[in-house]
Amino acid sequence: MTRQAARGHAHLWFVGPALFLMFAILLLPIAVAAGLSVTDYGLGNLSNEFVGLQNYERIFTRSTYEKMFGATFRYVGVVVPVSVALGLGAALLIHSLGRMGDLYKTIYFLPVMAALIAMAIVWEFALHPTIGYVNRGLELSCGTVLERLSFFAEGCDRTFPLWLTDRDTAIWTVAFIGVWQGFGFNMVLYLAGLTGIPRELYHAAEMDGARSAWERFRLVTWPMLGPTTVFVVTISIIRSFQVFDMVEAFYPQGGGPSKSVYVMMFAIYEKGVQQNLMGIGAAITVVFLGFVMVLTLLQRRLIERRTHYV
Amino acid sequence: MAEAATLTMRGIAKAFGATPVLHDVDLEVRAGEFLTLVGPSGCGKSTLLRILAGLEAADAGTVSIGGRDVTGVRAADRDLAMVFQSYALYPHLSVAANMATPLVQRELSAFGRLPVVGPLISRGARKRIAARVEEAAEILEIHTLLERKPGQLSGGQRQRVALGRAMVREPVAFLMDEPLSNLDAALRVHMRAELAALHRRLQRSFVYVTHDQAEALTLSDRMAVMRGGRILQLGAPDEVYNDPATLEVALFIGSPRINTLPGETDGAGRVSRMGVPLPLRAVDGRAGPATVAMRPEHLAVRSFPSPDGLTGRLTYAENLGADVYLHLAVGDGAHVVIARAEPQVAARLSSGDDVHVEQVRGQALVFDARGDRMALAEEAAAVEAVA
Amino acid sequence: MSDAAIAAPRVESQGYRFPVSETIKHAVLIIGALIVLFPFYVMISLSLKSPPEILQNIGGFFGSQETFIDDACLIVGGTEEECLKNPVVYNYTTAFEKAPLVRYMLNGVIVTASIFLIQVLIALPCAYALAKLRFWGREAVFGMVLFCLLIPVHAIALPLYVMLAKLGLTNTYAALVIPWTISVFGIFLMRQFFMTVPDDLIDAARMDGMSEYAIVWRVMLPTAIPALTAFAIFSVVAHWNDYFWPRIVITGDRTLFTPPLGLREFKGDADGDNYGPMMATAVVIVTPLVVAFLLAQRRFVEGITLTGMK
Repeated sequence: MTRQAARGHAHLWFVGPALFLMFAILLLPIAVAAGLSVTDYGLGNLSNEFVGLQNYERIFTRSTYEKMFGATFRYVGVVVPVSVALGLGAALLIHSLGRMGDLYKTIYFLPVMAALIAMAIVWEFALHPTIGYVNRGLELSCGTVLERLSFFAEGCDRTFPLWLTDRDTAIWTVAFIGVWQGFGFNMVLYLAGLTGIPRELYHAAEMDGARSAWERFRLVTWPMLGPTTVFVVTISIIRSFQVFDMVEAFYPQGGGPSKSVYVMMFAIYEKGVQQNLMGIGAAITVVFLGFVMVLTLLQRRLIERRTHYV
Repeated sequence: MAEAATLTMRGIAKAFGATPVLHDVDLEVRAGEFLTLVGPSGCGKSTLLRILAGLEAADAGTVSIGGRDVTGVRAADRDLAMVFQSYALYPHLSVAANMATPLVQRELSAFGRLPVVGPLISRGARKRIAARVEEAAEILEIHTLLERKPGQLSGGQRQRVALGRAMVREPVAFLMDEPLSNLDAALRVHMRAELAALHRRLQRSFVYVTHDQAEALTLSDRMAVMRGGRILQLGAPDEVYNDPATLEVALFIGSPRINTLPGETDGAGRVSRMGVPLPLRAVDGRAGPATVAMRPEHLAVRSFPSPDGLTGRLTYAENLGADVYLHLAVGDGAHVVIARAEPQVAARLSSGDDVHVEQVRGQALVFDARGDRMALAEEAAAVEAVA
Repeated sequence: MSDAAIAAPRVESQGYRFPVSETIKHAVLIIGALIVLFPFYVMISLSLKSPPEILQNIGGFFGSQETFIDDACLIVGGTEEECLKNPVVYNYTTAFEKAPLVRYMLNGVIVTASIFLIQVLIALPCAYALAKLRFWGREAVFGMVLFCLLIPVHAIALPLYVMLAKLGLTNTYAALVIPWTISVFGIFLMRQFFMTVPDDLIDAARMDGMSEYAIVWRVMLPTAIPALTAFAIFSVVAHWNDYFWPRIVITGDRTLFTPPLGLREFKGDADGDNYGPMMATAVVIVTPLVVAFLLAQRRFVEGITLTGMK
């Protein structure tokens, strides 16, 4: 066999395994999910009836799932913009400090490294309504000038927020932890983007009369970070749609006070795994995939439109 | 419309950390002249230009433009334009928007620059800006490219856009930091001619940084040769070429490089080269080692050895078509002398031949041990002294 | 200083401008750093304190380190002297004794290492073929990689779970590893990296008589070390910390628990006075990655920049 022929076949061995696994692990399950979503299948069940679109109908009509969408979109709606904005802000500040910023960079990235399940347990303790550090810290304000503010006055009078156990605050508190955990990752991506901006562009902007930091940001930094922003937003959306660890740790039963933190991943887990209602779990999976794919495809369109100048 | 102005720098010093880059540099750019800062990389020429631009702060010294002290004034307020080595075009903006940026930043109010509302508020001003961009684009012959993004342009086209961005504003002076170094050789020569034409047309001061001595020689009204953070010599190209103040300048300007051979001067100022006395006499008669330097084109091939000529073995004939540069090993092969020859003369020679050359034009240059040029007495007197 | 010059090219005022704006930046970043570090502070502090100190919130960061009487020990019949414990020792020994934490950590290492090795084994040749070999269908394969990038594996967990259950693979190491063996992100990352490797290098290797297989492992692998390091960190962090997937496929068999599952189990039966050992467990689980990150953070950031994720 000539070398040319060997090279001719090599790609089969190189691409084959990856191709097979892509089909078996990523594409086939989508088909399986789509298939299961129109049945009432359960592991070990003998019955496996075709139920049509009944599962989907339930998802879009029952109040439980209304809560599921509400919780998911609240979470995503807060975590994506806030963690992207904080990531960008931190990156800009740290970048402008040069080497002195390295310590902050390290610190802000720590939550990305730490197991979220562990940190969730810590946050749960810290946010405990009575013995938690947060409310004990807030109680220190009682009797001080801070008490003039209505938040502190109410807190000292009755109780400070219950955070994770109050249905009005629970989802926002979980979202806060999500931001805490994720913005450092965005920051690192933005820092990489910032180092990629040629310094001469800033000098050109100065020569062109861009006098304020804001004008330099508008003329150079923000447009040059365009592709980074698209990427960061995509990653943030995918990550925040998948929030699960915290919710399961805080609320093993039922998704929080009044199901206010009943996010989609938890719903899939609860319906499919805990209650063995594979049909409905699969239907949520399909809806979920639909959201994520549509959003990321939109993002990719943006990338293609915006990066052709590179 | 601003007038061309004199740019003056006095006592400029700059260090990056512990590394000094500029030592007490004085430079005056006359109104409307094309002045080149030329030197090897790391000589401080770019830093000097950036201090003039206001992009870098000097540790000491003053900068003034048209008599106005601008030492503490930021770059945006100095009314200068700069063309960068990498062109520094905004990749997300069209050619037209790139060229309009300096005008938009300076002539529109903060509201007028707003993305959506701006064009409505400042329609008149924007029209005027568009007209000026159009005009500059016509001159540079890039008016067909105005809607493109920089990424879709060739190197030469980007270069023109960068020039256009500098031109639209009609600044008092143009600063250029190695603007041609990213172009291929043929385009570089072409753009040189265009820059010279542009300078004639705009009647503004140009300060041009380059490491390419050929660019400096062809473009400049005056050139400043820099090395080690100092200006070694400032003068017209002819003057710097024919009358270099130091050995460093002589070595840096001219291609191929000037030939240097070891020599010495005696107490009477008589000059000898590798032990052979030359009909030259230094005005300041100090005894000591010296360097004798000869331009390759001042040497000519002779059929017979002459008393003050050189003989060397031909090691390599570098054929450039119109001329041939002969590389000769002289003095037991320890030194190489390059001589220019006509092709038909070179054709008669082959590698290994002994070739005799003689200084036929100009005069050999003599430098003392420190590398400073030694003034020579009138030729007649020198010959007399030897006789 | 170089970047400060861009941020503030106003030359004249450099002397006094520096402290004011720099101080504000540092102040903002320090406040951020305190919030980011707060739960780490809580976690470490609680892991050092005795139960009474935790409940009464006394003893500062380190606790008083006075010995206390372990009630659980009394109940099982120990004498008071035997049950006198030092808080740190008690918390950390309990963490390791109450649950097989060492076993969990070992499982974590086995799972993350297997996942990473298999991912590289599959992704590297595929990425090489996509970047450097010409073969029929290459564009289609790459298109599929791009499509699969849209699929978050967590989202299709339910059908994957059903498939693995059908194969009888739940509660095995295989179940923990198989879904992650294909990393389309890894393929994409490596492919982008290989695109930047000059063809001449590969042609030179071919001229030297190397087979395509040798090129992949002896030429491309070494050149890809920076990108691989970045990918390794992504992969290890994701799977060491992953909670969702092990939670689904490991039910009950504690010998297969990964560290996050072990910690979660701890929480499940935690009553008030078990916070100390629980936080000690959290510290033990979080520390390896944090330390690894501190040692390798430069490579991580370099890796991101270099693989052009901008």
